[in-house]
Amino acid sequence: MERRKFIQGMVATSIIATITVPTTLLAEETQKAPAKKGPNDMSFDEAVKAITDGKGAKESDKIKLSVPEIAENGAVVPVKINVDHPMEEANYVKAIHILNKGNGNARCADVMLTPANDKGYFATRVKLSKTQEVVALVELSDGSFIQMAKSVKVTIGGCG
Amino acid sequence: MAEVRKSMIKIKPKKFKIGDTVKVDFIVIHPMDTGMIKDKKNGKIKPAHYIDNITFSFDGKPFTTMKIWESISTNPYFSVMYKVTGKGKITVDYTDNQGEKNSKSKKVKPKD
Repeated sequence: MERRKFIQGMVATSIIATITVPTTLLAEETQKAPAKKGPNDMSFDEAVKAITDGKGAKESDKIKLSVPEIAENGAVVPVKINVDHPMEEANYVKAIHILNKGNGNARCADVMLTPANDKGYFATRVKLSKTQEVVALVELSDGSFIQMAKSVKVTIGGCG
Repeated sequence: MAEVRKSMIKIKPKKFKIGDTVKVDFIVIHPMDTGMIKDKKNGKIKPAHYIDNITFSFDGKPFTTMKIWESISTNPYFSVMYKVTGKGKITVDYTDNQGEKNSKSKKVKPKD
């Protein structure tokens, strides 16, 4: 009898622990987020304005943004961007911008491409402070902007 | 300040011909401090120290330029595509916000 109860108890507590621990962690993460301020802080809307010169960007399926759905470690989140667009002299992908919506500084990287690249491709690793959306903003050579956003769940933040 | 950093350029795949599009990967060992983390040894906040400008060039002709911020991970990795036009040298120049300037190059040898 003793042994059966003991085992049942163990199973029950382990199930509860696995359910409750991640959610509480996430809750703490979101609560303490906007406390710190860095030297070049910029909100997402400001960043989009600065890049597109107030024009804004359209959602597009042309961009393939590969990010993990759940990132266990926010300090290293791989981001891969593939733009399905020709790279000719007159018509090419001019720039790829990686933005985030939750870090202090919304801008991660601006990549200026040329037709010599032959493909609109860029990959890197970024830091994310909490669960948020990563946005790929692509500038085409005709001056138009397209974008794609995907959310990433972060269990441990990576910005200190 | 003139500290030479460990860095590496990789071209994938290893064997390629003129006209092929190859992946150029660049990795550098760099702390990428955000300016928000405390130093565990003395309790002071570490100053921001991150790479801000990177230029990929082939025989002196730049083909990709990047401006990056502190949100890029420690020991950053960047990957771009490049269409091989002939024999030459790929050079990556990078500077950081504390004034360090470094560069790394690798020979491009296409098989014909």
